[in-house]
Amino acid sequence: IGIQVSSGLQDLTLRDRGGHRRDFHDLGVNTRQAMVHVQESKTGMCFSGRMVKLTTNHFRLTSRPQWALYQYHVGYSPEMEARRLRSALLFQHEEHIGKTHAFDGSILFLPKKLGNKVTELFSRTRNGEDVKITVTLTNELPPTSPTCLQFYNIIFRRLLKMLNLQQIGRNYYNPSDPVSIPKHRLMVWLGFTSSILQYEENIMLCADVSHKVLRGETVLDTMHYIHSQVGEERFRDACAKELIGLIVLTKYNNRTYRIDDIDWDNNPNGTFRKSDGSETSFVEYYKKQYNIEISDWMQPVLISQMKRRSGNVQGPVALIPELCSLTGLTDKMRNDFNMMKDLAIHTRLPPDQRQREIGRLLSYIQKDDNVQKELRNWGLSFDYKPVSFTGRVVQGEKIFQSGNMFDYNPQFADWTKETRGVPLIHAVPMDSWLLIYTRRNYDVANTLLQSLFKVSPSMGIRMNKPNMIEVDDRTEAYLRVLQQKVTPDTNIVVCILSSSRKDKYDAIKKYLCTDCPIPSQCVLARTLSKPQTIMTVATKIALQMNCKMGGELWSVEIPLKQVMIVGIDCYHDTVSGKQSVAGFVASLNQTLTRWFSRCVVQSRGQELVDGIKACLQTALRNWSKWNKCLPSRIFVYRDGVGDGQLNTLVNYEVPQFLDCLKSIGTDYSPRLTVIVVKKRVAARFFAEIGGGLRNPPPGTVVDTTVTRPEWYDFFIVSQTVKNGCVAPTHYNVIYDTSQLKPDHVQRLTYKLCHMYYNWSGIIRVPAPCQYAHKLAFLVGQSIHREPNLMLSDRLYYL
Amino acid sequence: MDKNFQEEFTQIIKFTPPLYKQRHQFVKDLVEKYKPKKVADLGCADCSLLRMLKYCSCIEVLAGLDICASVMKENMHMLSPLPVDYLQPSERSLTVTLHHGSVAHKDPCMLGFDLVTCIELIEHLEEPELKKFPEVVFGFMAPSIVVISTPNSEFNPLFPGVMLYRHPDHKFEWTQAQFQSWALETARCYDYSVEFTGVGQPPTGMEKAGFCTQIGVFVRKYPQTGESVQSEKPTEAVYKTVFKAVYPSLKDEKYLQNAVISEVIFTAQIIKHRLMSKHEEYDDDDPEGKSKFQPSMNCFSDYLGKLVVEKGMEPFVSGNEVYIPLATIFSFPKVNRLCGTFEKLCKLIAGKVTLSSDGSAVMFNIEDEDE
Repeated sequence: IGIQVSSGLQDLTLRDRGGHRRDFHDLGVNTRQAMVHVQESKTGMCFSGRMVKLTTNHFRLTSRPQWALYQYHVGYSPEMEARRLRSALLFQHEEHIGKTHAFDGSILFLPKKLGNKVTELFSRTRNGEDVKITVTLTNELPPTSPTCLQFYNIIFRRLLKMLNLQQIGRNYYNPSDPVSIPKHRLMVWLGFTSSILQYEENIMLCADVSHKVLRGETVLDTMHYIHSQVGEERFRDACAKELIGLIVLTKYNNRTYRIDDIDWDNNPNGTFRKSDGSETSFVEYYKKQYNIEISDWMQPVLISQMKRRSGNVQGPVALIPELCSLTGLTDKMRNDFNMMKDLAIHTRLPPDQRQREIGRLLSYIQKDDNVQKELRNWGLSFDYKPVSFTGRVVQGEKIFQSGNMFDYNPQFADWTKETRGVPLIHAVPMDSWLLIYTRRNYDVANTLLQSLFKVSPSMGIRMNKPNMIEVDDRTEAYLRVLQQKVTPDTNIVVCILSSSRKDKYDAIKKYLCTDCPIPSQCVLARTLSKPQTIMTVATKIALQMNCKMGGELWSVEIPLKQVMIVGIDCYHDTVSGKQSVAGFVASLNQTLTRWFSRCVVQSRGQELVDGIKACLQTALRNWSKWNKCLPSRIFVYRDGVGDGQLNTLVNYEVPQFLDCLKSIGTDYSPRLTVIVVKKRVAARFFAEIGGGLRNPPPGTVVDTTVTRPEWYDFFIVSQTVKNGCVAPTHYNVIYDTSQLKPDHVQRLTYKLCHMYYNWSGIIRVPAPCQYAHKLAFLVGQSIHREPNLMLSDRLYYL
Repeated sequence: MDKNFQEEFTQIIKFTPPLYKQRHQFVKDLVEKYKPKKVADLGCADCSLLRMLKYCSCIEVLAGLDICASVMKENMHMLSPLPVDYLQPSERSLTVTLHHGSVAHKDPCMLGFDLVTCIELIEHLEEPELKKFPEVVFGFMAPSIVVISTPNSEFNPLFPGVMLYRHPDHKFEWTQAQFQSWALETARCYDYSVEFTGVGQPPTGMEKAGFCTQIGVFVRKYPQTGESVQSEKPTEAVYKTVFKAVYPSLKDEKYLQNAVISEVIFTAQIIKHRLMSKHEEYDDDDPEGKSKFQPSMNCFSDYLGKLVVEKGMEPFVSGNEVYIPLATIFSFPKVNRLCGTFEKLCKLIAGKVTLSSDGSAVMFNIEDEDE
C-alpha cells in the first residue's frame, strides 16, 4: 500500500504542475538507525568550540492537536478515463466531501473524516451517463508520515500560486518587479524556493530567496546573433554548443522545456501528429491554437525529450525557436566575469537583506486572506518567526609550512599574505621546462619568465632557464612543437595562449594528459598584461606548477593515523549528454599533502560505481606502497549526488565499497566512513552579531534543529564570502564504522577544507572533493578519456 | 421514428471536434470577423472560452462573469500573463477581469463592450432571472453583438439516457421554435437583428432535429451609444471582482522604456563588438574563419545586414571610449520599430543610458571589454 500511496501523490504533484516524479528530499532513507554510536546523540555540542547564536530560514509548521489527514480511494463505475471528468464528477458532491480537498484523479485527501468508511455517490455526465462513485477511506495519516510531508509541499505550492507567483521549473517567482540588465539582455526575477520537511524536532518550512535569470530574446534572436558572430561555417556547431541543454519557456504555455537537439532538416512548415491522430503543420497549429503567426518559416526546429508523460504526449517535443525564450545562464555567460559581476549586484543579497526578502514571502502568506483561509481549512499554520538556535564555531586550524606555523585571520579564512615567500614543504625543481608562446606574446612571455625568477627562490623552487619556443597561433603549430620538443625529462610545459578559445586549450591538454604524460600550464596572455598584478599572478602560477609536478605546499595537523581520505565528484556532460565522468582522489601520505588521482569515464546508461570500485582498489594498492601497510581508516567524501539519489548510494554504492575492501584480503577490515557532501542546499544561517545579521564565521558547525532525525548529518560553514550570504555545506554520514565522535568527524572535515592547494584559504568542500571536481571537469570538458596513469600521483589537473 | 433505428443511432452520436470546442470555435470565428476590442463572456465558468480568446490579437479588454466564484477561482490562473509575456511585452494592451455576480443585475463594469457571449448560459437561469436577462444584456450593456447559445431539446432523443435535460442544473431546454420566438421578441424589443445557426450537425436523415446547440447572433441596429448616454444609466457596482490581470504591453510607457533601453544597449554592444574585433583583425594571425565568411543567402540573413551606414553615423573610438551614434542605433529595425521616431528614442533613453556630452552617441568604456 505504501508504494501506491506515494505514486498517487506524485501524480498529484504532477497535476499541480510540480511536475517532478522524483522525491527530491530523499524521504524514507533512514541511515542513522544502522549507526549505533550516534543513535542517542549526533551532536558535537559541548565537546569543542565556542557558541554562536544563529538564525535560519526555517519556519515551524504548526497544526491542530490530533491533526490527521484522511486519505480516500475514489473509484468510478463505469470506469472514467479523463482525470478532468473524474474531478468534475466528484466535485458535484462538494456538500458531502467539503470544499477543502486535494484530488489527483484516484486519491483524495480531506482534512476531515467522512461519516462512513465507504461513501457511494451518484453523478451524471453531460452525455447523460450515470456514474457511481465509491469513496473509500484507506488511510489516516499522522502529521509526520512521509505522505503527509509530500502533501504539505503540494499545499504550499498551491499557496504560492494563490499569491500570483509564477512557477518556473521548481520554484515560484514574482513577475511584477523584475530587475533588468540591458547590457547583457538579462532580466532577473526574484522568487522563492520552499520545502517542508521533518527536521530534528519539528516539521518546518525552509524558504530561501531564488533568482531566476531570464533573457529577453527568443531562441531565434540568439541564433541570428550567433550567426552574425561566427558566420556560416561554424554556425550549426556554435548553435548546438550554445543552446543544447538550455531551458526555454514558450510563448503559449507555462511550461519549461530543455533543448536536447536542433533539427536542421525541419522547419515550421513541417508537420506533426496531434494527440487526436490528425496531421498538421506547426504554422497551422500555432495559428489555430494560439493565434500566433510564425514569421520566419525557414528556422529549424528544437527538440526536447520529455522526461515525463503529460496527457497523451510522450517522447520528443518539437519547439519553434521563435516562440521560445531562454532562461538561465550558459557556461559561456558564467565564465563572463563582467556579466557575473553585474548579476551579482542583484543576486548576492547580504544576510540582512536576504532575511528581509524571505520575511516578505512569509508576510504575503500571513496577509493574504485566501491563503489564510486555505491554511485554516486544512488546519495548518506557520510560525512566522524564523527559528533560532545555538551553533558552535570550532577552533581555527594552524597552517604548517616547512617547519613554520602560521595563524591567519579567521575572519578572512585566507593565508596568502602569511605564507608569501615562505619555502614550500616540498618544492620540485624546474630543471628542464618549455615556455611556448606566439610572436605577439613574446614580451608577455619574457615578463612571466622574469617574474617567475623573482618569486621562486624564496619558495625554495630551483629553476633553470626554459627552452623558449615561438609558434604560430594555430592549434597544429602548438601540437607540432610539443611532439618535437617534449622529452621524458621535461618537468613541465608552459603555454601562453592569446585567447580563451577552447579548442586550442583542449588539444594541448589532451595531448599532454594522454599521449605524452607531462604536466602542463596554460596561461592567458591577458592575465599577464597588467604590470601591477604580475607578481601576484607569477606567484600563483609558480605554486600551481609546483603542485602539478608533485610539490607540496602546506599542511594542517591530522591527529588520525593510518588514514586514507577519498574524494569523489562527478561531471555530467550537458551538451552532448553522452558522457559522465567521475573524479576519484585518494590521499597517499599521513600529512595529506600528496594525492592519488584517477577518473572514470562512462557513456550514458552505464553505472559509474563499477569504475569507482576499481579506483578504490588501485588507491589502496598505492597507499600501501607509500606507507608499507594498508590504511586502518578510510573516509570517503562523496560529492556530486543529485537530489533523490541518496537511496541508490546507500543501497548500491556503499556495498560496493565494502565488497572492494573485502576483496583486498580476509583479514583486512578497515573502519569505513562514507559522507555525502552537498553544496547546493537551501538552508542559510545568520549569526546575530551586534544587533544585525551577519554571515557566520568560518568553522561554524550546525548539527541540531535543522538537521534530519533519520540521518547522521551536519552543516559546516567553512569559507567566507565578500558579498552576499555564505552557503553552508551539508554533510550526511551515511555509513560509519569509525566509532569516532561526531565532533571528530566534523573537525576532520573542516581540516580537509584547508588543504586545497589552488587556494591559500578555506574552501567550501573538503579538498579531495574539490580535486575530484577539477579532475572530472578537465576530463569531461577537454580530454574525454582517462588520462595517462603516469600522472596519477600528481595534481596535474589543477 | 423507428425505435431500433433511433437506438442504433444513439450509439454513434459523438461530435468531433467535441461540441464545446465547436462552440468555442464559433465564437472565435465571430471575433475574427468583427474584430471586437472589448469582449465579455457571461457565465464564463471554468474560463476556457476566455483562455482561448486571450490569444485573439484584436481584443484589448476581456471580462468574465459567473454566479459561481469558486469555479472561476480554480481556473483563473490560466488567465494570468505567462512569464514570456513579461519578457517580451506585446504591442497590444490586454486586461482580463473576472467578476462574480448575476446576469440579472446591472453593473457599470459591463458597459462599453463590443461583443457579449452567453454560451450555454440561459438554460441555467431561473424564471425571474431569465425575465431580467434581456434588459440587462440588450438594454443595459447594449453591445454591438450578442451571441447566445443553448441546447436544442429536439436533439435530445438522439442521446441515450437523457431523460429530461442534458444537465441536472438546466432549468429548461427549448425547441428551435421556442428559442427563436424568444430571441426574435427580444431583438425586436431592443432594436437588434438576429440570425440563427448552430453547431453539432444532426445525423443524415435526422436533419429536422436541427443543430445540437442552437445559436442566435444578435447585431445592434442603432449606432454606438455615446458616453453621455451611458452615463445616464444610474447604476452602482454590484459585482465583485475576483481576478484582474493587466498584461504587460508596449503601450505602457514603463515596458516600452525598458524594451527600448534594453534594445539600444544591446545593439550598441553588437556594434562595439564588431568595431573592436575589426581593430583586432589587423594583427590577428588566425587565418581560419572571418575572412572566408560571406553573408549567406539562406534563412539567416546577416544580423547587421540591414544596417545602413551614412556619413557621420560610423561608430568611433576616442581615447578609452567608444562612441556609437544614436542615429546608427536608430537605423536598426528593432529599435526603429519600437520607438517610431528619433525624438521618441532620445526621450525614452534620457538619463538611463550613458551618452556623449552632446547626447548624440552612446558611450562605452573600452576597459569593460569582455572576452
